[in-house]
Amino acid sequence: MDELRKIEQFLYDEANLLDNPDLDSWMKLYSEDGTYWMPVVEGQADPFNHVSIFYDDRVMMEVRRRNFVHPRAASKDHKVRSSHIIGNVRLQGSNDKGDLVVTSNFQALVFYRNEQRAFGGSYEHHLIPDQDSYKIRHKKVALINCEAPQKSLTIYL
Amino acid sequence: MPYNNEDLARLVEPARLHRSIYTDPEIFELEMQRIWGKAWIFIGHESQVPNPGDFFTTNINHRIPVVMTRDRKGEVHVLHNRCAHKGAKLVDTACGNARAFRCCYHGWTYNTDGTILKIPNEGGYDNTGFDLKDPMNNMQKAAGCESYRGFVFATLDPDAPDLKTWMGGALDCFDNLCDRAPEGEVEVAGGVLRYEHDCNWKFFLENLNDTMHPMVTHQSVVQAAEEYIATLPEDAVSQRAEAEIIPPFGASYEVFESSGITGFKYGHHYDGGKTSIHADYSVQPEYWDAMVKAYGEERTREIFSFNTHNTLYYPSLTIKTAVQNIRIVRPIAVDKCVVETWSFRLKGAPPEMLQRTLLYSRLINSSSSMVGPDDLEAYMRMQDGLQSTGNDWVEMYRQYGKDRDEGDRIVGGGTSDLDMRTQYTAWKNYMTEAYDTRESSRHG
Repeated sequence: MDELRKIEQFLYDEANLLDNPDLDSWMKLYSEDGTYWMPVVEGQADPFNHVSIFYDDRVMMEVRRRNFVHPRAASKDHKVRSSHIIGNVRLQGSNDKGDLVVTSNFQALVFYRNEQRAFGGSYEHHLIPDQDSYKIRHKKVALINCEAPQKSLTIYL
Repeated sequence: MPYNNEDLARLVEPARLHRSIYTDPEIFELEMQRIWGKAWIFIGHESQVPNPGDFFTTNINHRIPVVMTRDRKGEVHVLHNRCAHKGAKLVDTACGNARAFRCCYHGWTYNTDGTILKIPNEGGYDNTGFDLKDPMNNMQKAAGCESYRGFVFATLDPDAPDLKTWMGGALDCFDNLCDRAPEGEVEVAGGVLRYEHDCNWKFFLENLNDTMHPMVTHQSVVQAAEEYIATLPEDAVSQRAEAEIIPPFGASYEVFESSGITGFKYGHHYDGGKTSIHADYSVQPEYWDAMVKAYGEERTREIFSFNTHNTLYYPSLTIKTAVQNIRIVRPIAVDKCVVETWSFRLKGAPPEMLQRTLLYSRLINSSSSMVGPDDLEAYMRMQDGLQSTGNDWVEMYRQYGKDRDEGDRIVGGGTSDLDMRTQYTAWKNYMTEAYDTRESSRHG
């Protein structure tokens, strides 16, 4: 049970770095081979043989965190703010790499371009125990409306 | 205010456009009738309905629902998606397979070619004058439906020219896309991205071959990628290769100038031909071998040497032959449209080729990409800015007067506004009903 409390705390800390966007610090939570995936269909098997809304590895996270604060990224002139609520956190066991597999539900309100939007769905985190905390090897964000037309999303959820 | 043809003609000068074409809902409704109701509109690819009974639903303009089907004999149709009885939309799922289409309301049932199969309790119509054999009791076909190398188009205009005539020289780009497959065919694969745009549909089209914007609009992502690449050690080969997808989006004015732009009668155009920003992508060795085996080395080189960036089939479709993805636009309102990105598998090519296409679609065209949202930001600001009454006009003078008329096409510099002038010549002809349909009508 202590492990689950620790994991919950870690997920809240991660979300906080997206709520008040600090992508430089957020990225440090990921392992060198870490990936962030947002599929575009329910039950999507993989990010390589099907298109996705997001699939960032370390390379694209490195580019994105720099682009996010670039003074000439016009889509970033409008600041983005989010508010995440994470619940139903469940430790599902370990995968074949020995990572802890954690699933949870989330709801996120995102304010951007004078408009408030609501996102919801489930997370799947693959966590590597790292000293007193964790590194994220993989995070999957399954939106409940993944197939619907999407507006510009300039921040990770 | 109702517009007559003279009013509409005044909105498009040879090198200037009146702002109302982007902002006036009345003009939008006229566009839906006179452009989207007359042109060939891209519906889908035959590979989306590979088997008898397969169907795929979409809209042919901002409203009119249609369904592409493959009937029992294997023939592809584009049908109005409406029950002949009370008008309910018959098929309301994105795609699937059906033995017949049965209306959810009173159970009128249609064959997959659209002909009526049966209606329940038919006796109630005896001696009423109602005739089930009246073709109006079938699902109605679009006025025209033709395909070219698997790409299915439909038109609501019975007098539209045939598809090949309408495409003109832009046909070469479909050939080049399909010829890049060792088996000479492509198929839809890897799903679709749908991206909601809060702007007029024409801004998206204008941006395709607007080669003066990338180095400005995409400067931030290019610099972000270059800064990151500069931090990489020499041996970080894979990281370097991945990040290097981005810098071509900031190619110089000179690079874009040399690619040239070619325009056609009905508003179609492409940039590139000999070279484009996609020309320097390396050819994967297994893919090269498969191509040479299929075509021989000389023909393979010829196929790869025809390098275009974007080809627009005005008004609904744009394709990237070198990347094997397409984007489809569907207007919704004067300030709203949806852009879909579909990817294609080159039949006979190694699986990595599709993965490369999907990577490109995601990195560049997704709503969460670092490229597309900066384009859309510019379109939305034009949508807002053009409400200003300080100036009623936008200009498209770049290299005006230097476009070369080569008979079936107009050719000019890669940073010219030739693409804009080509689109708006077509816009004006469609909107003022000036195209002479007699000379090219399918019905002679």
